[in-house]
Amino acid sequence: MIRKTNLKIVFAHLTSRVKQTMVAILSVTFGISMYIFLNSFMNGVNGTQTELAFSTLAHIRVYNDLPEDRSNLLAGSFDQPTAINIRNARVIQYREGIRNSAKVLHTLAALPQIKAYTPQVNINVFFRNGASQVNGLLSGVEVVSEETLFKPSQYMAKGQWNDLGYRADGIVLGKGLAKKLSVKLHDKVMVATASGITRSYEIIGIIETTLANVDNAKAFIKIGAARQLLSKNAGYVTDIQVNIGDFDQARKVADKLRPLVDFKVEPWQEANGQLDAANSLRNILAVAVSFTILLVAGFGIYNIMNMTVNEKIREIAILKAMGFNGRDIIEIFLTQSVIIGMLGGVVGMALGNVISRIVNQIPFQIATLETLPIAYQAEDYIMASVFGLCTTFIAGYLPARKAANIDPVEIIRG
Amino acid sequence: MKSSTTNHLALSTQAISKYFYQPRTFQVLKEISFDVQKGEFLSLIGKSGSGKSTLLYVLSTMDTSYEGKLAINGQTLTGKSQNELAAFRNEHIGFVFQFHYLLPEFTAIDNVMLPALKLGKKTKAEIKKKALENLEILGIAEQATKPASQLSGGQQQRVAIARALINDPAVIMGDEPTGNLDSKNTKIVFDIFRQLAREHGQTIIAVTHDDDFAANCDRIIELSDGRLL
Ligand SMILES: Nc1ncnc2c1ncn2[C@@H]1O[C@H](COP(=O)(O)OP(=O)(O)OP(=O)(O)O)[C@@H](O)[C@H]1O
Ligand SMILES: [Mg+2]
Repeated sequence: MIRKTNLKIVFAHLTSRVKQTMVAILSVTFGISMYIFLNSFMNGVNGTQTELAFSTLAHIRVYNDLPEDRSNLLAGSFDQPTAINIRNARVIQYREGIRNSAKVLHTLAALPQIKAYTPQVNINVFFRNGASQVNGLLSGVEVVSEETLFKPSQYMAKGQWNDLGYRADGIVLGKGLAKKLSVKLHDKVMVATASGITRSYEIIGIIETTLANVDNAKAFIKIGAARQLLSKNAGYVTDIQVNIGDFDQARKVADKLRPLVDFKVEPWQEANGQLDAANSLRNILAVAVSFTILLVAGFGIYNIMNMTVNEKIREIAILKAMGFNGRDIIEIFLTQSVIIGMLGGVVGMALGNVISRIVNQIPFQIATLETLPIAYQAEDYIMASVFGLCTTFIAGYLPARKAANIDPVEIIRG
Repeated sequence: MKSSTTNHLALSTQAISKYFYQPRTFQVLKEISFDVQKGEFLSLIGKSGSGKSTLLYVLSTMDTSYEGKLAINGQTLTGKSQNELAAFRNEHIGFVFQFHYLLPEFTAIDNVMLPALKLGKKTKAEIKKKALENLEILGIAEQATKPASQLSGGQQQRVAIARALINDPAVIMGDEPTGNLDSKNTKIVFDIFRQLAREHGQTIIAVTHDDDFAANCDRIIELSDGRLL
């Protein structure tokens, strides 16, 4: 508890030099508002980036992978002393895709962390229109659950995504792919699989996501049509795409899922290191910039508190002569800087919010954006107050300690 | 256990020496030993530069870099921590500086109340009443609510004396406490000290250049070149 007598001295100090107190408060206000604005902006950018990336990328992918270590498949099957000689080892895949997906989907449905999932049959194919031929990916999708995960309907340049559900012979082409093939809505396009099967589909939609690898090389058909193309049974899928609540938890959920299913469980970070790295780098940058700003604000308080201590050195000596101890003096000056920090912090948060709102109005028409993105997160405000208080505490403590160590005799002697 | 001889001693020093090392080593106090009885009114005189203020700072416990031993009210204070000494000063020592030192942002009465508020043994109302009484005795009650920075030198000095008395300290030390006062007010302060010593058993140690003031005390001790005569 701060003693009332000390508090009285604090208020005398704060009110006797209003201008100085204001400057100190303003330096905190500046630091906190910039912290809030920069983090909101950075989070807004990160959010937009992630939203774009996850428009085609699931948080976790479940698929049938080849065994990882292919060098000695017999290890473990024989006792140690047995000599084993394998020559020209190769893996013969006797099980393609996920043949009976119902069991896996059932497991997924039971996990509370998993928000949504969609099975896919992905096939590498050639798209053909007359003489033009393009290598690409044909994705057989479940129209409804694909929509809940990736919202492809948002990106439809032409046609309706839902129509795919009613047309076994319908196909949705990426915009760039359509251009390469010189086809347009309602034209026919030929699809040829690796095993030589060819089928013709009618283009019922054109999709434009602004992601080159989708727009230029991907097409969607109904999952049943894809199974038919491969002559597979109704349970066959190649991939199950899974979304969870918080994509940052993908690794954790993947680790949980792994023992429950027989297939490869791959969190998005494993297959998309560059995305993960970009996110991390942006976060590091935001942290570095915010800390620099807080440091500058901290120096502001430090300077002013130092000045105050130098100015009040005679008063400090008198207080000590009258029996105030070092702890009282620290309390007095620390309280002073914490009050400055709190006032500056509250005003700074309000100002940061206002700046963010203004920036959020600035037009910026690129990709799916219309204005500069801002994320309003309570965490930023909490962190700002925590860091702000820590900074003022440290910035106030150093001058306060100096004040506490003043030798009253030296000052009073004159 | 304290012996009966130390029991009625307000203050006692044993061979107190002090050195200054800047600009060159110089012994300012030389083996000073003396005792002061409870209720004694003592004057400390000596030429300018003889070490009177320096000795008073040692006696007030503010200055701890000395050799020898200091005891007040039978309590040995040499070697105690700064915090213990601060608490001791607050309760048992009233100090009037050579130059009046008040907190300029506070009113006269707030300055007087501060040591008592710090001690926290009485309610605020009681403290305020006593502070007003003190100011009244010193003839500056009408200045009570003025900021200290707006008082004249003599007024400030009287506020400082009122402040030194607020906690009824066992020992009151003054470094030329009447240095800024006219003869009328000097007489008032002298009479207050006289009365405190006689009726309340409080001990007064006052540095003074005023021969009249000194002559009317119980005892005079004189410093010369850091040595007690
Ligand atoms: N901080 C210091 N460093 C070095 N020497 C000092 C210091 N303070 C005081 N002195 C010296 O110590 C001696 C005693 O000083 P002190 O202030 O105690 O004198 P004084 O008797 O109070 O004089 P006055 O009557 O003028 O107030 C003087 O010679 C002074 O120059
Ligand atoms: Mg002196």
